[in-house]
Amino acid sequence: MTTSNTTLSDTTTSDTTISSTPASSTAVGSFAAAGLLDNEPVRDLLSQCIHCGLCLPACPTYQVFHTEMDSPRGRIALVQAAADGRIEIEGTFQSHLELCLGCRACETACPSGVQYGAIYEVAREAIEETRTVSRRERLLRRLALRELMPHRGRLRAMARLMKVYQALHLSPLVQRLSFLPGKLRFMEQLMPRLPMGFPDYSRPAPALGRKRGEVACLVGCVQDAFLSGVNAATVRVLQRNGYEVHFPQTQTCCGAAQLHVGEGDLARDLARRNIDACADRDYVAIISNAGGCGATLKQYAHLLEHDADYAPKAAAFVARLQDISEFLADNLHVPPTASLPLTVTYVDSCHLRHGQKVVQQPRRLLAAIPDLNVVELRQPDMCCGSAGVYNIVQTETAEQVLDAKMADVTGTGAQVVVTTNTGCHMQMIYGVKKAGMDAEVVHLVELLDRAYRAGENPPRAGERINV
Amino acid sequence: MTQTPTVRSAAKAGASQSLPGLTQLFSAHQVTVDPVELITYEIDAGMDRGHPTGVFYPESTADVSRLLEWATATGTPLIARGAGTGLAGGAVAEQGGIMVTFARMNQVTALDVAARTATVQVGMVNLAFDALVKEHGLYYPPDPSSGRSAVIGGNIGANAGGPHCFKYGVTTNYVTGLEAVLANGRVVQLGHAAADAPGYDLLGVLVGSEGTLGIATHATVRLVRNAPGVKTMMVAFATDEQAGEAVSAVIAAGLVPATLEMMDQRIMRMIEAYAPVGLPVNAGAGLIVEVDGYPGSLDEQMEEVADILTAHGGYDLRLAQSEAERAQIWYGRKSAAGAVSRLAPAFYLVDVTVPRSTLAPVLAGVNQICDRYALAVGHVFHAGDGNLHPIIPFDPRDADHKARVLHACHDIVALALEYNGSITGEHGVGIEKRAYMPMMYGGAELSAMLDVKRLLDPDSLLNPGKIFPAHVPDADYAAPVELAGDAAHSVLTPATAEEAAALLAGLTAARRAVRIRGAAAATLTPTPNPTAKPTAGPAAPVWLSTEKLAGVSALAPADLYVTVGAGTRLEALQAELTVHKMTVPFVAPWPDITVGGILARNLNAPNRLRAGSVRDNVMAMTVALADGRVLRLGRPVVKNVAGYDLVKLFIGAHGSLGVIIDVTLKLVPQARARRTFVVDVPSVAQGLAWAAQSAAQWFVTTAVVLTANSAADGAADSAADTAYRLRFTLEGLAADIEAEVAELAAALAQTGATLSPADSQSSTSEIADATEAWRIFLAGADGDAIRVRVGMPSMQLGAFWDDLPAPLRTGLPWCFDAGNHLAYTMLTGDAATCAQQLARVRESAEWLGGYAAVTDLPASQNDTDLDRWGAPPATLDIMRGLKACWDPQGILNPGAYVVD
Repeated sequence: MTTSNTTLSDTTTSDTTISSTPASSTAVGSFAAAGLLDNEPVRDLLSQCIHCGLCLPACPTYQVFHTEMDSPRGRIALVQAAADGRIEIEGTFQSHLELCLGCRACETACPSGVQYGAIYEVAREAIEETRTVSRRERLLRRLALRELMPHRGRLRAMARLMKVYQALHLSPLVQRLSFLPGKLRFMEQLMPRLPMGFPDYSRPAPALGRKRGEVACLVGCVQDAFLSGVNAATVRVLQRNGYEVHFPQTQTCCGAAQLHVGEGDLARDLARRNIDACADRDYVAIISNAGGCGATLKQYAHLLEHDADYAPKAAAFVARLQDISEFLADNLHVPPTASLPLTVTYVDSCHLRHGQKVVQQPRRLLAAIPDLNVVELRQPDMCCGSAGVYNIVQTETAEQVLDAKMADVTGTGAQVVVTTNTGCHMQMIYGVKKAGMDAEVVHLVELLDRAYRAGENPPRAGERINV
Repeated sequence: MTQTPTVRSAAKAGASQSLPGLTQLFSAHQVTVDPVELITYEIDAGMDRGHPTGVFYPESTADVSRLLEWATATGTPLIARGAGTGLAGGAVAEQGGIMVTFARMNQVTALDVAARTATVQVGMVNLAFDALVKEHGLYYPPDPSSGRSAVIGGNIGANAGGPHCFKYGVTTNYVTGLEAVLANGRVVQLGHAAADAPGYDLLGVLVGSEGTLGIATHATVRLVRNAPGVKTMMVAFATDEQAGEAVSAVIAAGLVPATLEMMDQRIMRMIEAYAPVGLPVNAGAGLIVEVDGYPGSLDEQMEEVADILTAHGGYDLRLAQSEAERAQIWYGRKSAAGAVSRLAPAFYLVDVTVPRSTLAPVLAGVNQICDRYALAVGHVFHAGDGNLHPIIPFDPRDADHKARVLHACHDIVALALEYNGSITGEHGVGIEKRAYMPMMYGGAELSAMLDVKRLLDPDSLLNPGKIFPAHVPDADYAAPVELAGDAAHSVLTPATAEEAAALLAGLTAARRAVRIRGAAAATLTPTPNPTAKPTAGPAAPVWLSTEKLAGVSALAPADLYVTVGAGTRLEALQAELTVHKMTVPFVAPWPDITVGGILARNLNAPNRLRAGSVRDNVMAMTVALADGRVLRLGRPVVKNVAGYDLVKLFIGAHGSLGVIIDVTLKLVPQARARRTFVVDVPSVAQGLAWAAQSAAQWFVTTAVVLTANSAADGAADSAADTAYRLRFTLEGLAADIEAEVAELAAALAQTGATLSPADSQSSTSEIADATEAWRIFLAGADGDAIRVRVGMPSMQLGAFWDDLPAPLRTGLPWCFDAGNHLAYTMLTGDAATCAQQLARVRESAEWLGGYAAVTDLPASQNDTDLDRWGAPPATLDIMRGLKACWDPQGILNPGAYVVD
């Protein structure tokens, strides 16, 4: 139980080595890293920034620290200084770059079109280059990124163990006894209530009513194991709108976590597998229901641009890839009709909002639910602090970012907090608990699914609905 | 690349040694000296750069005070910084030193919706603040394009403007109080909770001083009612020039749109590439016109504007159809600078102001200059107030390219000055334009500004090197004129500023006191208090009259300004302006009062509720100082942030700092309509309460005055329930007035009050205007009356009245300017009774945070030892220091003012 927990979380956990890396061991790495930054393409990226400062209010870490070095403008200045050879990668530079959530809210705010995400990626690579990775970390990474995440069966097995743990009500005991190290104790709190079973992906789920087309459903890795209700709801809602839902059998993890820690080759390998998996039929759309995964999936063309064989395939894949909210906003052929008189608020996923620029579609879907009272957040563009594994790596900062977010969320008086991404979903479960808020956290499709079901008491007989 | 020594952290660089005690004085999270972190503080949004020695993050005024004490002790320079969005290098640590960054002091500490005032910590973000007050139906007008990030403190430092300043004014018109820390660590409160409190307007000088005079930590600002409705239109023009002429035509028609923003084709195309907001990219120029008001008046306003624009070549008129569409247009406009940088690695955003009717030739001139230096240029600017922003893209890595840009900027500045404009309208001087300061101001003005700087920051610790050029030219001092022995019995009547300066220099040399007067009537002159010990010599004071400094020297209705001699009678000026359907929003109880007299006394009538006070209507001023310097301050433009705003100091100084020679005033188009409505009330308390209850509705309400009914229409004994009359005057468009009256009537009806039009009153002698009721009240005093003005914090007039003993309530005549929280009364009778009554009135006023000041003493009371001003301002010593700088022998109106 503990082991599996460690493995999952440590997909990218690297904090122990960051602080303890001896300064002297980095000369070679630093040199190579500086080379990564000191080149024309990076300089062009940097020169886009006119340091106007309009990004500051959009940055969650600036909102917490109010320091320039924890703002997008400040980080760009640091990368510039590193590229100019004024400063070393290690130390201050590294610590401030690592505090970045990577939410890219600054890109949305930037009038000059600075590609902060690209700058950030290069900087992270440079940091990776200088870092000495400990044996323990290398082992954990290998376990998580290669042996666990790409394997649905292993993740599910882990989830089943966790379910036993939850069923035995061990959580209060574990928390009280400080039985787990800090990080793990924190992660334990992110855990949603786990389902009893998992959806069956072995055969396609048929369209209800008139069939309008066939879609491929990417089920993800962590979400499938720990929030499997989201996938189940996705399938049901697609079925109701006339789509036959296929589950490409050789699909795997999207590669976001691998990319994030600089395991580019592994990520490209996963990308090829997913592209191949979805080439089995002529789908009208390939559906992702997690904002973070979707952002990476949409990057496949960029990721494989130098792969002559896969570049065109990747482009075709990306052209069909849509977030579930994008797809449904245009294809809600059978809108829910029953009343769902709940007060809800929508928490944007940064990767969906800033990465994929999908902002209005989820809101349009919420507006389609009769009698739903949707209260907008004051700062809907602000990250919740989940940011991949940020909340596990930079726990303290993430807590502050989350506190600010929860003040906003609590202020809406929502009974239901609606998300569109796995990390945000789990962070909101923890945030709601932490803020002492009486609210439920669901994915947008789960709410839609509920709206449909509200009109069917008892559910219609004679029609098979998947799961 | 590797030649440069690289640094990893503070420990390695040992920077903390250069800051003895700082890191011990404050907790670690409040200070950083890590040289890597400091790199991120080297820049603001402009082109200048400097590495600070450290960064300090204050969380309270006390923190700043302790830091300043430390800085004084160690001689460390300090640079106050808001969000670092400035374009002139104002917050760049050019000489090292500690950056004091206010991002963590970002709270609203008080918001009084009814009183329309808020106090914020200076790190409050401009747009976030505006959004917050809008939730309460209020509006904070200064709206710089950087407002998404820029903070109120930085706005104050730069006296920031923005598109809506054409109608609503700039930052200085909204800041009513500052908590600031001076160089020696002393915490001062500048400004007063009540309007027109005695004392020099130090607040007015600190605003726009770019952090060189003190470091503000809290600001109290006035808010206005958010417009009930707004309409935004995009209009295309074939050329810039056409658009410029159309703007002038709109203004000439007496219309006051909320904004008149212009963009040329190049800029529109750049913006459209970033934010497709639907700009007319094929047109030569685009104009964003916004009108605000009640929904009922918007169509009418827009139609009229549209007709004028069409008549001047406007086409493709498109009205924003929703709030979202309107927001998009503004988002596009405010992203202009950033959008440019998508196409070039850098750009220079120039900021100059010219009188608006000269926009067309100046635009052409700017284009010629850029052609001459082979530079591309795009234009985006606030056409309504003549504020140009040529944007010149360039590559900073190309030294020659950069040099050409700087040359072009110099020439553009020179061009603006040729047209009587300013070197900076809203960005500030900072590092960028300090070398240009002598192009606009001579040694006299610059040395006078430096006097203020040395007075408040003798060691030059606060933002050193900013605003002032490295070399300040010497000031000219007029040669003293020796006065003949019998001058004591004559009246000096200089006809020019230089003549006045020479006379004053002569008087200073002779240590002879001088009393300044405008017109002949002695009551118009602030009466000297003879018991005050004159610092000047024993000889009897001479008189200096401004009677020969009379007449209009420049009248520019299209540019909305008039330049007029201080000795010009207000009535004469208004008569001349009426011909052009213009006015200055001044009203005085005395027919002979001069413009100089109004400024010296800071005489504000109730109609300032909408028009702003005297200080908000003065653009420029010529002053003669007692030491022989002549200061020509300001320019005939509404936006000008070049150097310190010294003009403010002479307004309300009662002639104790210098002699006002001439002034340039804003012109206001005569209102299309004016209506007055009245409510009869049984008591003052009831009247004040009703006025307060209607305050949320005031939008085109220009004056609210409560007087006794008998005083108003002469009826012998009014019925008890109509003993007092509350008057509301509304000005503007008929549709707006109609809508607001309906709102006022509804609000008042809830409390049982009935509002009726003034012209429906039976009495033929009914006063048709609220300000007029105030004027008649003050003018009607008998010659022996001591006039007293009571100023109260917002909404405190009722409390003051409640606190006043009954005999003073019924025994004295009262008039209330309820819109501005002022009360007026008159004391008559023997000196002892008057003194007693004044003391009691003052007690009630002061204990509720207000003041009571004697504005006029009759000749018969000249030997009184009445305390005219009450509790002295807390910064009296600074005011005295200033007076000592400019009037070293104390010859100007000795004893006439609280600063003596």
